[in-house]
Amino acid sequence: MTARRTRSLLAGVALLLGASALAACGSSDSSDGDSSGTTEASGEGTTLAVPGDYKTIQAAVDAASPGDLVLVDEGTYNEAVDVETEDITIRGVDRNKVILDGEFKLENGIRVLETDGVVVENLTARNYKANGFFWTGSDRYRASYVTAYRNGDYGIYAFDAYDGQIDNSLGSGSPDAGVYIGECYKCNAVIDNVISENNGLGYSGTNSGGDLYIINSTFRNNRAGIVPNSGSYELCYPSRGTTIIGNIVHDNNNTDAPAIDVALLAHGNGILLAGAVEADVERNLVYNHDRGGIIAVPFPEEDANDLPLDKDEWDRPCEETRKDDLADPADIPGLVIWHPWDNTVRDNVVSDSGLADLGSGTIDLDGEITTADLGNCFSGNTYTTTSPTDLEALAPCDGEGSDGDWEAGAFDLLVLMNEKPEAPSADSWKTQPEPEDQPNMPDARTAPAVKFEGPTKPDLDAIEVPEKP
Amino acid sequence: MSGNDPTEPREPTGPRSRGRALLMAAVVVVAVIVGGSLVVAAGSDDGDAAASDGSTWPPALRAADGTSTATATRHTGPQGRVGQFVAKCQRDHSAPDDPIVFPGLPGRSHMHEFYGAVGVDADTTPASMLAADTTCDKPADRASYWHPTVYDHGEAVVASELDAYYRAAPGVDPTEVSTMPFGLALIAGDMTYSTPQPGESVGWTCGVRSTLSDEPPTCPESAPLTFLLVFQDCWDGEHLDSVDHRSHAAYSTDGECPDGYPVHLPQLTVSVTLPIFGEGHDLSLASGNVYSLHGDFFNGWHPEGLEREIDGCIRRDVVCDLRTNRSEPTNLEDLFS
Repeated sequence: MTARRTRSLLAGVALLLGASALAACGSSDSSDGDSSGTTEASGEGTTLAVPGDYKTIQAAVDAASPGDLVLVDEGTYNEAVDVETEDITIRGVDRNKVILDGEFKLENGIRVLETDGVVVENLTARNYKANGFFWTGSDRYRASYVTAYRNGDYGIYAFDAYDGQIDNSLGSGSPDAGVYIGECYKCNAVIDNVISENNGLGYSGTNSGGDLYIINSTFRNNRAGIVPNSGSYELCYPSRGTTIIGNIVHDNNNTDAPAIDVALLAHGNGILLAGAVEADVERNLVYNHDRGGIIAVPFPEEDANDLPLDKDEWDRPCEETRKDDLADPADIPGLVIWHPWDNTVRDNVVSDSGLADLGSGTIDLDGEITTADLGNCFSGNTYTTTSPTDLEALAPCDGEGSDGDWEAGAFDLLVLMNEKPEAPSADSWKTQPEPEDQPNMPDARTAPAVKFEGPTKPDLDAIEVPEKP
Repeated sequence: MSGNDPTEPREPTGPRSRGRALLMAAVVVVAVIVGGSLVVAAGSDDGDAAASDGSTWPPALRAADGTSTATATRHTGPQGRVGQFVAKCQRDHSAPDDPIVFPGLPGRSHMHEFYGAVGVDADTTPASMLAADTTCDKPADRASYWHPTVYDHGEAVVASELDAYYRAAPGVDPTEVSTMPFGLALIAGDMTYSTPQPGESVGWTCGVRSTLSDEPPTCPESAPLTFLLVFQDCWDGEHLDSVDHRSHAAYSTDGECPDGYPVHLPQLTVSVTLPIFGEGHDLSLASGNVYSLHGDFFNGWHPEGLEREIDGCIRRDVVCDLRTNRSEPTNLEDLFS
């Protein structure tokens, strides 16, 4: 339990009736029913087999104690599972055959409510109205070898959650993001070897960052690829310190993907730093985008709740800034611009972008802040086009920039932001394609459940620009 | 206020009595999902205890004796500062019915727009809501929400949906929040006003802006005209309704409920966004002019489902849902001009 928020927990609250009456009973349509060989799968805890020992996943979760493994056999489970027991692992025996299905009626496949150390492995959540997998206010979270597709908000969603890891997983067919980590600083989280496709946004993270690593992953065929952003519509602004290294980001122009409004605005871009600051974007392979490859742009927020923090406050943790008083509404303009400050873009390989492989720009109501002031830097990249022209010469990461013309080849952001594709129907997420079968975790039936203490900082120096698939 | 009605010996479902309240909920309503359909068996653990949980209907009404004149204290600013859950409910239908004010009298009311439980009419009871489908995205939310039909230049304007936020009211210890009793009836705002209503129990705004006004403002397309309804968060612990439909509930002030209203409920805030923007609207309501703004909540939530959300989200102070402004200015050039 963290102390970042003042929380008073009711001790020992046991929900009545075990499984939620709202979650349909697990309708295991195929099961070998043999859980006898799985008891060794748990580390120090007990293995609770579904449907062998408990008919529903919810019933097993409610009965579990810290350290236990809930091992789910093949079948389709029409459940919305809430987790309020710390340090348990929920695992499917086969990622592609253990399916939580919301049938477009239920909200979340697995929802973890201010509960630390909950690990979900090797199963699929689909057709939920909100999210496939959702951690909120919950630390030491891990999602490994999970598949989330055709969910109405997010695929894999971590909000106000710290010390997390999302690995070897897939998020597909959501109008918001396939994978999301938001409202945390410093997050201390790793996204490693995931695939995000056919979403409004491949990755989204609002007001998150700080030891937040997005590495070795693929973001393809979304409307936009990787989009950290800032805004005072949620807490802990701005987005700062997101590290994006060694990813393959391509063909994020998918007009058949579902979309929330910001996905329409971001459409056709690979890596879009939307009012994000101090992001580190290195050694990514980025290609085939209608608009930009790696671009830093402002995030315009109408009816903002607050003004951006000054630079000297960016390092303040979320637990502090969330308690700050808001600016006087009289001092907040009708449109607040979140500028993209101090981002580093180096050693990426970027190609085939419609407007520019690399770009930086902003707009300012008062005309006081120009693109040249932003402090974004670009060095060592492989590219063909930039905006402004000669961006690497104008804004290198090492040494002084040239005295070139920042206006030459600059984006007309007002025009670009107003040219959005047509919005899809609100239900378009329900008809997104089913992903191919995905790899299983090793030894799902027998591997012990190990308490997750938090992610290990990845060896970033060892990551190279990935090969084109 | 009057003393307790001896025919309804109920204890408040505050934290100290929560275990019993939960147990009663479990006994009173046993819901079993069979093949996706909800089968509800209603009963009670004792004869007279059922009156204020909706299982005996209609309930005995409290006299119109409310003494609290406090008005709502609202949450403003970014969402996420306190735990919450949010139900998004599609509009279901219009009807000149009101099962709280004119039960059993179809056509007696001014025109209402209904959301939530499907097919609500003058004969609706908590049990019938629980047995109905819902338009809300939370399957357990079988409550009904309604407001007077809005007219612009005399033509009815319908919203497609509403958002129903459930939070501890500002200053209220979230662990002190009890569940809303099944069958509870609440009305925010007062239809009898033809001049601005006091306080901020109801008001007009644009999109998700925090400021409220008595007059419907001119709004941009990206943040269309919206009205808010802030319902009472304190309950007398005994009556599901009252003769004036108000005296059984009250608003907290600085996190404290007034005397006679010992039970903290979630503060329900309903936001309805209309497809109205730009200059030149001329609005009225089925109940009168724009100052007659009001709305109703009739609790048909599945009791266990509501308790699960309140416990998991409000008492644990967790953000379970957000309805934030992840939209963009419709026309930046206009904003810069």
